[in-house]
Amino acid sequence: MALDSKVPDGPLAEKWDKHKFDLKLVNPANKRKYTVIVVGTGLAGGAAAASLGELGYNVLNFCIQDSSRRAHSIAAQGGINAAKNYPNDGDSIWRLFYDTVKGGDYRSREANVYRLAQVSNNIIDQCVAQGVPFARDYGGLLDNRSFGGAQVSRTFYARGQTGQQLLLGAYSSLMRQVEAGTVKMFTRHEMLDLVIQDGHARGIVTRDLVTGEVKSYAADAVAIATGGYGNVFYLSTNAKNSNGTAAWRCYKRGAFFANPCFTQIHPTCIPVSGDYQSKLTLMSESLRNDGRVWVTKKKGDKRSPTQIPENERDYYLEERYPSFGNLVPRDVASRNAKDVCDDGRGVGDTGLAVYLDFADAISRLGEHTIREKYGNLFDMYQRITDENPYKVPMRIYPAVHYTMGGLWVDYNLESTIPGLFVLGEANFSDHGANRLGASALMQGLADGYFVIPYTIGDYLATNGVSGASPDDAEFKAVEEEVNAGIDKLRSIKGKRTPTELHRELGLKVWEYIGMSRKEAGLKKALKEIPALKEEFWSDLKIPDDKDNLNKHLEFAGRLADYFELAELMAVDARDRKESCGGHFRDESQTEEGEAKRDDENFTHVSAWEYKGEGKKPQLNKEPLVFENVELTQRSYK
Amino acid sequence: MQPLFKVVWSSVGKKFIMALSGLAMVVFLVEHVVGNLLLYSTDPDPYNKYGHFLVSLGSVLIVVEYIFVAILLFHAYSGITIALGSNKARPIGYYKVGNASGDASRKTFSSKTMIWTGILTFVFIVIHLKTFKFGAYYASHVGGEEIRDLHTLVWEVFRSPAYVLFYVITIFLLGFHLRHGFWSAFQSLGVNHPRYSPFIYCLGILIAIAVAAGFIGIPVWIYFTGA
Amino acid sequence: MDNMTLNLKVWRQKDASSSGKMVDYKLDAVSQHMSFLEMLDVLNEKLIKDGEDPVEFDNDCREGICGTCSLVINGVAHGPWNGTATCQLHMREYKHGDTIAIEPWRAAAFPIIKDLVVDRSAMDRIMQAGGYVSMNAGGAPDANGLPIAKHFAEDAMDAASCIGCGACIASCPNASASLFTAAKISQLALLPQGAPERQRRALAMVEQMDAEGFGDCSNHAECEATCPKEISISHIARMKREYFKAALISKV
Repeated sequence: MALDSKVPDGPLAEKWDKHKFDLKLVNPANKRKYTVIVVGTGLAGGAAAASLGELGYNVLNFCIQDSSRRAHSIAAQGGINAAKNYPNDGDSIWRLFYDTVKGGDYRSREANVYRLAQVSNNIIDQCVAQGVPFARDYGGLLDNRSFGGAQVSRTFYARGQTGQQLLLGAYSSLMRQVEAGTVKMFTRHEMLDLVIQDGHARGIVTRDLVTGEVKSYAADAVAIATGGYGNVFYLSTNAKNSNGTAAWRCYKRGAFFANPCFTQIHPTCIPVSGDYQSKLTLMSESLRNDGRVWVTKKKGDKRSPTQIPENERDYYLEERYPSFGNLVPRDVASRNAKDVCDDGRGVGDTGLAVYLDFADAISRLGEHTIREKYGNLFDMYQRITDENPYKVPMRIYPAVHYTMGGLWVDYNLESTIPGLFVLGEANFSDHGANRLGASALMQGLADGYFVIPYTIGDYLATNGVSGASPDDAEFKAVEEEVNAGIDKLRSIKGKRTPTELHRELGLKVWEYIGMSRKEAGLKKALKEIPALKEEFWSDLKIPDDKDNLNKHLEFAGRLADYFELAELMAVDARDRKESCGGHFRDESQTEEGEAKRDDENFTHVSAWEYKGEGKKPQLNKEPLVFENVELTQRSYK
Repeated sequence: MQPLFKVVWSSVGKKFIMALSGLAMVVFLVEHVVGNLLLYSTDPDPYNKYGHFLVSLGSVLIVVEYIFVAILLFHAYSGITIALGSNKARPIGYYKVGNASGDASRKTFSSKTMIWTGILTFVFIVIHLKTFKFGAYYASHVGGEEIRDLHTLVWEVFRSPAYVLFYVITIFLLGFHLRHGFWSAFQSLGVNHPRYSPFIYCLGILIAIAVAAGFIGIPVWIYFTGA
Repeated sequence: MDNMTLNLKVWRQKDASSSGKMVDYKLDAVSQHMSFLEMLDVLNEKLIKDGEDPVEFDNDCREGICGTCSLVINGVAHGPWNGTATCQLHMREYKHGDTIAIEPWRAAAFPIIKDLVVDRSAMDRIMQAGGYVSMNAGGAPDANGLPIAKHFAEDAMDAASCIGCGACIASCPNASASLFTAAKISQLALLPQGAPERQRRALAMVEQMDAEGFGDCSNHAECEATCPKEISISHIARMKREYFKAALISKV
């Protein structure tokens, strides 16, 4: 199938304005005749549901948490980018666009990224008007800080809790619409399938997580904003309940899945401490401004860090990348940490960690200054590890943090299924092969507040009221499939818990489709993951109760999808025989061991099409055309 | 628009009344304890003259008395409502009740027993009025005028060990009531500022100690010296 | 220590309509490096393998910001560490042979769904009553068009850091929701964006809080002491000022 990105003609800077004019409108009086389902209440979903409610549509909004305020967007620490140029340091929409395309290693769609940069300014205005308490300077104006991958200060922040504050802003708008009656909120509801009628997305089937009731909801359009699939690795910085199920089930109903192998590994996380570990905690990237990364020169050196003399330390980032030093982009920092640990020079009990040392910064700036800058992060580190980072170096290790891949969408954020829109991390659109810091919040809110309200209106105006009802045969059929799926999980009655199996899957995905991927490893993944999947379907043990709160039943359903998703990741990683951004193929590196793109063969989006159980997915390519930026090899030496 | 009744009996309004009435009674208590210091004198005249002065205010005193009765009833009623509401808001209690660490908490013996120290004080006030205000009438003559000799009555009553014990215990617990009640009233009125709050908190403790010590000292002194 | 044995006493309740009770579990091989929730994960793995029902407890981000986790541990909401949600409490707090009582948030307005999981939708309804600025996407003026003094912005941020976990309610001897409600009223009262609706907001949110069946505030300040974000009761005082002003002079 030929993928039509629907990118409008004309100069880059005018595309969105022109497109907005070309989009059809729904008359204000007619909006209440339409129902839109929004799944997810994070920055993208919450903002979309609130904005659509404000416009007057009937919105049905679903989330798995007990409140729409708990979506995982809340955990973002650092900030949100915008091209406001308040510091007068040379920023512009064009520069934000350029940095984002380059940061994504030229694997994103120019027009989408430009639009993102354009609306970034509206986002800051919108959030301030909602009462988001961004950091300010003494004159009362907004403060900015700098972030990786940019030479300007364009990041707005609210202490180390920017994601929380932005989400609570969206949540407050959402609560206002719930009160106004335009949005109906369904908490503790999990979307388990998509219903298609006459080729259009017309509703979803959910399970009420408290009563176990499986039920259909019909609408005129469906928007999925269910986040990324980082938990396929089991250990990630994602929340425990973050999952890829909604997106995956859309894929199995015909939505293409784009670039599934593009995952971001964040270099500064607190390392794993034992087998019981349930998740990983991120330490903000900003720490690398003052911390120096090092390991021992000698293999297996188990002395305590303070006993290791200066000349026996290897400050490998400073040595290899003299101009960027400890501030190389996330993917480069992560890969180098893995390399030194693979070399047997990792630190700590497990040998899977490197030091991030603040001793120099403390002696230069004083402990007080460091405490002011990073106090809350140091406290969090100490709470988790019981080590005082003012005295001994932090131990850090990379961890999965974000997934750039996701459901394929066109310029309107519409998937390959008409009427199915995909927003935020769940889609693939704006970050290419690597996302820059402080851009995830920007994209989620851009999609929700400023893109979907226009594009979904065009779809509704074009297609009219669908008249779909949960009693239609299509809905009943999907409901039956969902029920059968739940019963199948319950009927296995084996010996292994979902957590055990998930942990095992995670180790394989991390090993073979993690920070570096090679042909042999990917081949192995494609053999071992299906074998483990077999084991899952024959030896799973979960509590049986389906008419009650049963989190392990939920986990099992999500895990079943992860096995399939992991396989597709391996297929995609194997197909993309180049290194780009977070996707590093061992076979494609420069002589110095850096990622090497193959623009001739891989300047495209890989959109995978589901072909049925046990069949190979089909690859569809959307060529990426760069009319405004020149493709160059990244270098941080 | 929310009607007056609703606003006044909202959770915030109720505490406003409680705070104002509480502070008014603190003022009364301070006045009362200062006046009572005259009882330390074995000469009955100064105290009796003070009592007579109050009685001589006539209708003014009666109005003030009614106001204080109303204040007391308001205070008691809102206190009881809050306590009952508390039980209703948590019908099943915790298996184990602990205290948070750190120094932010103001949950103390005082704060947890407000309803009980309050009820005890109410009972005390009834008995107290019966014993003294509506108690035995002794006459005294000062400057040719007959005035009530309350001094003698007080000295007589405080010879009973049971009464003194009851008095001392109740006032001691009233001290705890004041210790939480005083700063709490300011908080309920919306007065909380880093510049003043520590001062108000300490003042509450001082007032509680001063009022309790002032009241307790009298029967104890009389009991041990006046026998 | 990597090999602690703990005696757990956990509230078990099948569903909203059943009655529950404290049940004893002995858990071996607990490592002091585990988080508290990881210790419960280990318990659950064991229960599932033994064919028993695992203990249901709410949790999500496990880094102290989503506000989903909600346990009363030995009588204290979120356990013994100051400014720390349950998910960030670590087992090195405990020693071999300790007994730990684990209970759900208890309040009439927080009905128990199962075991340690409660329904906190009452807090959403308080927000719906007025915890927002009425503005639609698209119409906002330039973000720097309205300077806000730094100390107001900082105070507002202190209040806004509320994670909505409900520990204030769980730990309050009266099960009052004052700190939660006040945090939002106070945040928006401190910012000019909240000014046009401040009177309506104060009256409506307090009205909803009362309607949900939360208790009254007796100024125990146990809420501040157990709040994972250490939000001060000075925000409750501000809520009261807002309420008095609204009640006295507004027509809303």
